[in-house]
Amino acid sequence: MTYEEFADARLGALLRYAVMLTGDPHQAQDLVQETMVRVQLNWRRVARSDVPERYVRRMLTNQFVDWRRGSWARRVLLRGDPDDAVAEPADHAQSAVDRDQIWSWLARLPRRQRAALVLRYYEDLPDAEIADVLGCAVGTVRSSISRALATLRAEHVEVCS
Amino acid sequence: MIEDELRAAFARHEKLTPPTGPVRAAIDQSVTRRRRRRRRVRLAGTALAMVAVALVGFTVVAPRPPEPGHLATLPAPVPGGPLNLLLLGLDQVDASRRADTILLVHVPADRDRLYLVSIPRDMLVPTPDGTSTGKLNATFSEPAASGDLGAGYRATRQAVTRLTGVRIDAGAVLTYAATRKLTDEVGGVPLCLPAPVRSVHTHRRFPAGCQRLDGAQAVDLLRQRYGLRDAVLDRERNATRYAAGLLRQVRERGTLTDPVQLSRLITSLGPAVTVDTGDTPLPALLSVVARTAAAEPIALGLPVRYEEWTERGFEPDPTRAPGFLDALRADRLAGWVAAHPEEVTPMGQR
Repeated sequence: MTYEEFADARLGALLRYAVMLTGDPHQAQDLVQETMVRVQLNWRRVARSDVPERYVRRMLTNQFVDWRRGSWARRVLLRGDPDDAVAEPADHAQSAVDRDQIWSWLARLPRRQRAALVLRYYEDLPDAEIADVLGCAVGTVRSSISRALATLRAEHVEVCS
Repeated sequence: MIEDELRAAFARHEKLTPPTGPVRAAIDQSVTRRRRRRRRVRLAGTALAMVAVALVGFTVVAPRPPEPGHLATLPAPVPGGPLNLLLLGLDQVDASRRADTILLVHVPADRDRLYLVSIPRDMLVPTPDGTSTGKLNATFSEPAASGDLGAGYRATRQAVTRLTGVRIDAGAVLTYAATRKLTDEVGGVPLCLPAPVRSVHTHRRFPAGCQRLDGAQAVDLLRQRYGLRDAVLDRERNATRYAAGLLRQVRERGTLTDPVQLSRLITSLGPAVTVDTGDTPLPALLSVVARTAAAEPIALGLPVRYEEWTERGFEPDPTRAPGFLDALRADRLAGWVAAHPEEVTPMGQR
């Protein structure tokens, strides 16, 4: 596979994945861009792996999890774009607010936990593959997902009761 | 169920996904830019590595005169008059690169021996816009933020020129990555520490006394300043000791006299270094340096005092610095050193 073929086939999916991770289209774009630049510069190594797509997803996830001062995150934050939330139809305003509470709670989770949730409930990957992407044991994946869900449930109860 | 709500929330936000076209174009553009930069740096790097190896290698300490007949045979017009070379060691953190080791190498007109003048990185200098003062090591970071080490070098060179009043004829920039590679490539560097050092980064312990460091250890040591008696100043002394050990190692292995070894070293270092030789052709520079390095060089520090009240940095010592700088500018350092033997940094070498 060439880099061009890979980008044709997978760029859209990677962008969607990055949106779920970051919750923001601009940050998602920066995350994907930075990762794909490295992918293209090191394409031979990427292509040698068994499943290039999984390899790239791991790169992107690591980049997201390792989000640190001084890396791409600073540029993103300094740009200071308002966080344009999803515009919901006006007649559903209240229910939309309720529903999107869950989206804002997601943002408060540790990044690794959020990534685990996205991989299971958005990408629908089996736990073994999630563990491979995150570079940890299957047990760790399960425990971080259940911790994340517990956090979300607690928020849910607090708001709804 | 919370799981179903999660799935729904993810599905609902799919429409936030940016279109692929512009992202694809931005990626390609950025790749082109980086490839071009890589190539440029690699070209500059070859020349630079030669200077760096020659300077670091030849200049810092020469335990015995260089073998006749290698570098001296380079056909080149040899420049007369004194020369000043600037070596910068880079503390390379992703977004902010600062020149943390700043070494001015003075080659006197009589080519008697080399003088290594270490300039504290916390020296207070006017900022480029002239409105306030900042630390010398910060002059590198802003121009170099785009990845152009040459721009950072030029800014620091200008600040050093302003500070000392001497013209800089050539110089080189070495990153930690280059230092690590260089150290491993020559098979480790021996050096002697006057006091033990403990790494705050890796908790590695460096005992007092003589030892051999591999690349990772050398870089670790060069980063340490907390807990040293004179902090930054002691680190700068350790950098000088490292350079001395590197030289000895390189000479003992005959790297500089063996074109095959030398070119392999330069190839492996290539992308990690940057050089500027100004008006002086590189071979001429090398031959001058090689000749002058035959005698034991002298290590000095720019006389400074700590300016605690204003900005917590160093400023030239008002009583000792003017005389030193006059001597440096007038190429009379030999006389100055004879009159001020206490200013010479002990190398801590056997």
